[in-house]
Amino acid sequence: MENRLKVLRAMRNWSQAELADRLDVSRQAVNAIETGKYDPSLPLAFKLARLFGMQIEEIFDDGFKGGGDE
Amino acid sequence: MTVSKEAVMSDAGKPAKRPMSPRRKRYLTALGLAGLFGGILGAWMQIAQSGASPTDLAMLSNSPLTPNFAMGASVIWVVGMIVSLILYHRSVDDHEERAYLWAGTAAWYTFTLAAPTWWVLHRASLAPAPDVMLLFVGALAVNLVVWLWLKYR
Repeated sequence: MENRLKVLRAMRNWSQAELADRLDVSRQAVNAIETGKYDPSLPLAFKLARLFGMQIEEIFDDGFKGGGDE
Repeated sequence: MTVSKEAVMSDAGKPAKRPMSPRRKRYLTALGLAGLFGGILGAWMQIAQSGASPTDLAMLSNSPLTPNFAMGASVIWVVGMIVSLILYHRSVDDHEERAYLWAGTAAWYTFTLAAPTWWVLHRASLAPAPDVMLLFVGALAVNLVVWLWLKYR
């Protein structure tokens, strides 16, 4: 799953370690999410969204392009 | 809660060291305790082994051990593992928990493939008797490799 975490972090001038501290996870977790090697759990995704003041969908993109009633 | 960049800068203009979170403290405590228990067991086993040269590594041997050591080591192993694992699982983040679960699964599959295969080969006199510690160490090695790969790749 693609995400904008690296860009959002850079906009705030935070290092991976600093973001990891704010999320109370390891730096490796932040790196794995940024590089798309790991999709965070729902609680961690909500935590990220709250930290950046955004909706989860504004940070993560699952590639779904449908516009129906789903 | 957000903290301004200035708030984490020291007087010298360098980033101030942020206080360690309770999660990280528990994590390091769990690893430290596991290392301590392992170190005590390893050193004690080396001293307690009998019938082997003092230069032989007790951990890689099947030489006899004293009953006192065996009982003490069993207690330390079980209690130490339980305490360390409770602390560890209370402190790992999502990412590491996933690595741990996949590593454990890979280790279990290794054991599941190796143990019965070795056992039937032995019953047909095609292999020596299964060695439980060799199976354990093999599964542990697979566990470690998968865990390191998923956590640090």
